[in-house]
Amino acid sequence: MANHERNIWEKIADQLRSKSLWMLHYCTGCGAIELPPSMTSRFDMERFGMGPMATPRQADILFITGYLSAKTLRRVIYTYEQMPEPKYVIGFGSCTLNGGIYYDSYATINRLDYYIPVDLYIAGCMPRPEALLEAFNELMKMIRKGEANGWKQYKENYDWYKNNQIRSLGEVLVHDEFHE
Amino acid sequence: MMTIIRVAAVLLTGFFVGLTLEGVSRKIIARIQRRYGPPWYQNFIDVFKALSKNGITHGWIFDFGILMALGGVIATLAFVPLGDLVAFPGLDNLFIIVYLFAVGALGMAMGMVGSGNPNSSIGVARALTQMLGYEIPYMISVSAVMYYYKTASVSELMLSQQDSWTLLKMPLGGIVAFISLLGMLGKKPFDTPIAPAEIASGPMVELSAKYMGLLMLMHTFSIFVEIGLFVDIFLGISNYWTFLIKFTVIWILATLISSVLPRFRIEQVVKFYWKVPLGLAFLQALFVLLGWVF
Amino acid sequence: MIPISYLVLVFLFGSVVSYLITKANRIVGAIFNFLLTFYALFVLWNLEIGHTEKLFSILEGVENTFKVSSLGKYFSIISLIVISLVSFFIIEWIRKKPSRPAAFNAFVLIMSAGIIGVFFSNDLLTLYIFWEIAVLGSFLIVPMGKEDSKKAAVIYVVTSAIGSYMYLFATFSIYNKYGILEFDQVSRFLLNEPSNLFKWFIILFIASAGIAKSGIFPLHTWLRITHGNAPDAFSAILSGQLVKMGSYVLAISLSVFPSTKLLASFYSGVPLLNYILIWLGNISIIIGTFMAIRQNDMKQLIAYSSVANGGYILVGLGVMNSIGYAGGLFHVFNHAIAAAMIFLSFAAVVYRTGTTKIDEMGGLIWKMPWTFVTYLVGIISLAGIPPTSGFISKWMIFNALLTKGMFVTLTITFIGSVGSFLYVFRPLAGVFLGQLKKKHYEVKEVSPVMLIPMLVLTLLTLFIGVYPKPVLDFIVSIENSLGIKPIEYSGTIIKTSLGQWDTLTVFTMFAVGFIIALVLYIIFPRGKKVELTDQYTGGEYLFNYDLYHYATGFYRFLERLYDKHPSFEKLYGMLVSFFKSMGEIINELFYKVSPSGYVFWISIVILILFWVRW
Repeated sequence: MANHERNIWEKIADQLRSKSLWMLHYCTGCGAIELPPSMTSRFDMERFGMGPMATPRQADILFITGYLSAKTLRRVIYTYEQMPEPKYVIGFGSCTLNGGIYYDSYATINRLDYYIPVDLYIAGCMPRPEALLEAFNELMKMIRKGEANGWKQYKENYDWYKNNQIRSLGEVLVHDEFHE
Repeated sequence: MMTIIRVAAVLLTGFFVGLTLEGVSRKIIARIQRRYGPPWYQNFIDVFKALSKNGITHGWIFDFGILMALGGVIATLAFVPLGDLVAFPGLDNLFIIVYLFAVGALGMAMGMVGSGNPNSSIGVARALTQMLGYEIPYMISVSAVMYYYKTASVSELMLSQQDSWTLLKMPLGGIVAFISLLGMLGKKPFDTPIAPAEIASGPMVELSAKYMGLLMLMHTFSIFVEIGLFVDIFLGISNYWTFLIKFTVIWILATLISSVLPRFRIEQVVKFYWKVPLGLAFLQALFVLLGWVF
Repeated sequence: MIPISYLVLVFLFGSVVSYLITKANRIVGAIFNFLLTFYALFVLWNLEIGHTEKLFSILEGVENTFKVSSLGKYFSIISLIVISLVSFFIIEWIRKKPSRPAAFNAFVLIMSAGIIGVFFSNDLLTLYIFWEIAVLGSFLIVPMGKEDSKKAAVIYVVTSAIGSYMYLFATFSIYNKYGILEFDQVSRFLLNEPSNLFKWFIILFIASAGIAKSGIFPLHTWLRITHGNAPDAFSAILSGQLVKMGSYVLAISLSVFPSTKLLASFYSGVPLLNYILIWLGNISIIIGTFMAIRQNDMKQLIAYSSVANGGYILVGLGVMNSIGYAGGLFHVFNHAIAAAMIFLSFAAVVYRTGTTKIDEMGGLIWKMPWTFVTYLVGIISLAGIPPTSGFISKWMIFNALLTKGMFVTLTITFIGSVGSFLYVFRPLAGVFLGQLKKKHYEVKEVSPVMLIPMLVLTLLTLFIGVYPKPVLDFIVSIENSLGIKPIEYSGTIIKTSLGQWDTLTVFTMFAVGFIIALVLYIIFPRGKKVELTDQYTGGEYLFNYDLYHYATGFYRFLERLYDKHPSFEKLYGMLVSFFKSMGEIINELFYKVSPSGYVFWISIVILILFWVRW
């Protein structure tokens, strides 16, 4: 990934972005339970300027906790494409890394970054809120340095990602509510 | 020329003080919940971050609605006297301010519904219904004040309170106006239109990036208009600095109240406003007609 | 310049000509109509106030004359602006609709003749005659609309008859007592009248014609049915013009017969009679607003809003001080223009889509942007938001009520005002915004012929909103002629005892605010244009975006609060069915076809004869 030089405005913008990360959490697995403690009084995510958002349009981070089945992966891709750029993805837990305990299931996918670019993984089953906050800080550093470029990769290698997505999910032939 | 400088001063005050106080209120809520909370300048970062992103738009009405919203609210704010800083002396009629404010609201509603998402339509329908709730008691209590002082100009209403504050002269009206103010600000328990967990933040559901940033600015300015009117009408004569102090106090009070309350359903909002505050407002109007003013 | 009586005659003969032309070619007939009404507007604009013409004499001692008063001129110019622009609209519209174009064109001209006569009548009888001509013309047009419209026409004419017969009764009572009918003389006689009861009777009965016509409670029910079912373009004339005839009669009954001088003050300078009328206006505002919020048919929705706005006009006129009366008159102008705009944009929508149900449409802004702009400016004016003209009149009415200390009426006008935001938004969101329906993908914008009158009205309401002097000049001359203290204004600044405001500054500031927003909008990164179907759906895939549109039961949560409201429409329905059943009883008893019935009645009659020993 060629790291092109950022101009001054982009640098300022990245500074701002790193200090105000709005998060859309896509919680299908057990990882969702780690979010409330990191939002509320004990760990207080808001002191970094982070907060949960209601829709992908407003969000900066797509936060994916736990395993993704083929059915939910569609929704994730759909949601990811609706987010405005720049956008970042955090994969939470081993499930997004290598399938976790569901690695041999017929219905789940094993590696998330075949399908959408993941900027940061948090390993563990489960990662604790401390790990979560560590990851957020790491992401902020990456954004400030201009290294969190997953959204650019997705644009550049769009065909590759699309091929992977189609290979795994299959081409949609019947267009109705039940097949896509 | 002086007018331009004064308008600029009003708008800049609205921008800086408004955004700062929003950050402060987040900090206060955090402290109530025993959290550390974001820094006071968090909302500046949020606005500029939102403005710097590459958003999506649903066509010209979406863009135009947001411009109309921000433009309408900026125009409204210019007519609000901030203590002794009055941009248009003599023209700051209360009815004008209240109805010019509706331009912004209409623009926002139109743009958001123009996005084509039903969640935003529901949010807007709720916001308008809530408006029907809070506007009536508010206008009656304020009308009682206007009837008493025989003027509708906000700065004259402020200057008429030499002997004591209107809040002390007409306590019922003041309470009603404050309750209505909570509804105007969309603070809990009256945040039904925005209900994030229920209708995906209502009108803002399709707002991204720049559009979100402009709407946040609009929200800041409208907070300034709403509380500014309350301070001018009810809280005695103030110059620019005392105005800001009173403003801060009211804003923090509203924040404190809202942070410990749950949310009303929309018909409960209307029922509540048309029972308690409207009754009190009529009582106040009756007192004013009978001359029972302290 | 031709005299008014000739103008009326030209219209009456023109209706025959128009009938024949339209039989040959619809469009030429419509153009003829437009030219004639536009010419009439030109003639009326140049009329001098005080100009008098003798017509005929029916009753002994009463000369029936036309006299140009400022009040009549004001109303007639508003009417002719609306009628001539709607006639322009009809040039294109008549190609598809209505069912009988020739009769339609002829009746429009007959109605216009009646309207011109009404506004320039100098006595009660002439007014009545032309009033009935106008009602006749419009009554015959109404059945050319939808299926229900025959019934609608009957309801319209019956309601109108209730009002006009009460009016006629008052007229003949005056003639019986004084032997005169001219407005000036009647008001002079009334001032010397000792009996309060008679004054009450006269004013109330004359006002009842206006109450029936402008859809004030308790005679408001015809507006929904008639406006909703009349031919689409004609609804604009009905709501924009014919209803204003009622306001004219109300203005006459309250101000030409100076109610404040005739009757003792009841509450801060307002007589009890006016107060009762104000309360009728209040009830109309409440009914109109809350019923409009419930409607799913867009034409019926705006019809109910006409009820509410008629209430506003009555409240303004009823207060009878300088600012309130001016507000009422200004509101006549605003509502006429706004209602015409709204109904014309609806007519354009119906012309293209063929439905009036709000939840059967959606997203039409992408297909009909100019129609949308017309509707938008129309509702901004109707809801009374600056910088359109609608706000000025509302502001005046609020000021008048506030200076009088009428808090309950003030509350109700606020409810009407905020409620109007609610109901005007319903068609905006349901018809023009939101998801475009699949069946409307091929819909096109209407042709320029239809757009021009709509946009002229749009510009007119914006212009008067920024520079209200032309209308205010008229109002001042009316108030001068009626002996009310005229309102004060200089340039674009309007003054009352409660303060002043400058329309131009407000408009400039709005423009400045918009430019600031635009600059911010331009310097930050441009947004990517996405399809209307690219929506946040909670991650779900949708295939029928027709369903992803919130229009059915838009305010259901609010409507639920007053679902069990008492309905006058039902009450009148019960009355109708009561009379029907009474008629059936009589039918049963007296007109029985069977021989036994006749034998029964003959025997009864013979018995009675024996009993009275005749």
